[in-house]
Amino acid sequence: MKAITKFAVHLGAKFSLDADLTVNKGGRYFLLNESLLGVARKDFYYAGTYLGKVKNGKFFPSFNLLSMLVEGKANKIVFEKKAAWLFICGRDVFRAGILAVYGSRRKGDHALVLNEFGECLGFGRIVCSLVGAAKKGEVAVKNISDIGDFLRREI
Amino acid sequence: MSGKEFFVERYERLGWKFEDVKPRQAIRLNVTNVEGKNLEERLQAIGVQLDKVPFLETGHWVRNSKVSVGATAEYLLGFYSIQEAAAQIPATLFADLQGKTVLDACAAPGGKTVQLADLMGNTGAVVALDIKKRRLAALSNHLERCHVSNAVVYPFDARQVSRLKLKFDRVLVDAPCSGNFATDRDWFKRRTLKDVKRNARLQREILAEAAACLSDDGELVYSTCSLEPEEDEVNMDWAVNHLNLQIEEVDCQGQNGLTEVFGKRLDASVARCRRVWPGETQGFFVCKLKKVGER
Repeated sequence: MKAITKFAVHLGAKFSLDADLTVNKGGRYFLLNESLLGVARKDFYYAGTYLGKVKNGKFFPSFNLLSMLVEGKANKIVFEKKAAWLFICGRDVFRAGILAVYGSRRKGDHALVLNEFGECLGFGRIVCSLVGAAKKGEVAVKNISDIGDFLRREI
Repeated sequence: MSGKEFFVERYERLGWKFEDVKPRQAIRLNVTNVEGKNLEERLQAIGVQLDKVPFLETGHWVRNSKVSVGATAEYLLGFYSIQEAAAQIPATLFADLQGKTVLDACAAPGGKTVQLADLMGNTGAVVALDIKKRRLAALSNHLERCHVSNAVVYPFDARQVSRLKLKFDRVLVDAPCSGNFATDRDWFKRRTLKDVKRNARLQREILAEAAACLSDDGELVYSTCSLEPEEDEVNMDWAVNHLNLQIEEVDCQGQNGLTEVFGKRLDASVARCRRVWPGETQGFFVCKLKKVGER
């Protein structure tokens, strides 16, 4: 659980989980709800809301967790349509595509990437200061994880 | 006993004249995720034109699309699933699903599991079973993509469900089957009557286990995408005679189930099943059952 709260801090968010409902299954974390407690046995493969996994000491968040963090005070950058699409395709995104920034604008911080509708597409690392005017062709966010991964996983 | 001629002749004896068909691509909206999203408008803006499927509440045909409907942002956000229209029928046959404990006995790749969770509004619990590791991964991805929060997946064979020591209010047995030619171009080359009979035996074993964990006032929906009566009506006749189950009336797409199969007369209640011959949809069979005396 520490891995999850630590990850949330990286995004500028505070996040707490009910320890009684959170299950670590071989490094994969799941959040159950009350009605699942009666049917979830030890040998399940997947249960409730998948939160992410720890692999080689590194935490990889699920897109469910990222969507949950959108609700709180996490760093968020909203991109226009074309930039949002490029992000889903695994690309880094240019500063020119930013519609709004919530939270940190500091280089090196992490932020959730949202589309124009406020839907979470993934997250990335801010690679230039987002204060002041944008330079031409300046990359703003380096893609770390995006929902296009659902397609890449199936290959 | 195989080959196109053999099976086509069987279909004719069952009252259907073979025609080559191409089922239309269909999607199903995940209502829980799209509330207030103007999804149809958003899809139209990227060149996806939909037609409502007349016999489904949340199903749409893809009339025309400039993009792959399996690779849009809206798909990746879990707003809809790609699900063949006839395959959307079984989950809709259950009475009230909210807050119920539901078994999806043969769940992967998860289209119907996600549909059940959506119909339940993520309340209650869906227990989903499958045995193949690759299929379990696909099922898990599907659940994550569609933000399902009320499912538990077990890597079990459906014939082992009693291990869980649970009683279910609703059970879906979308049984592993021989499939049909409409979705498999090589179907006639690959399938034999021996396969059909082997699948029918497996389906009975799954049905027996599923019926044993059904609560007294529970509902069981059985479906296959096989056109072969051994896997469909004949199995339902067997369930009525051996599992203390009775077949319920349903109001959905399809013709009445066959009550006479290759000279063998089946229980009259088998007519309450629904058989969908291929056309705009793939071939499909569905039946709703309850324990005897609980209608």
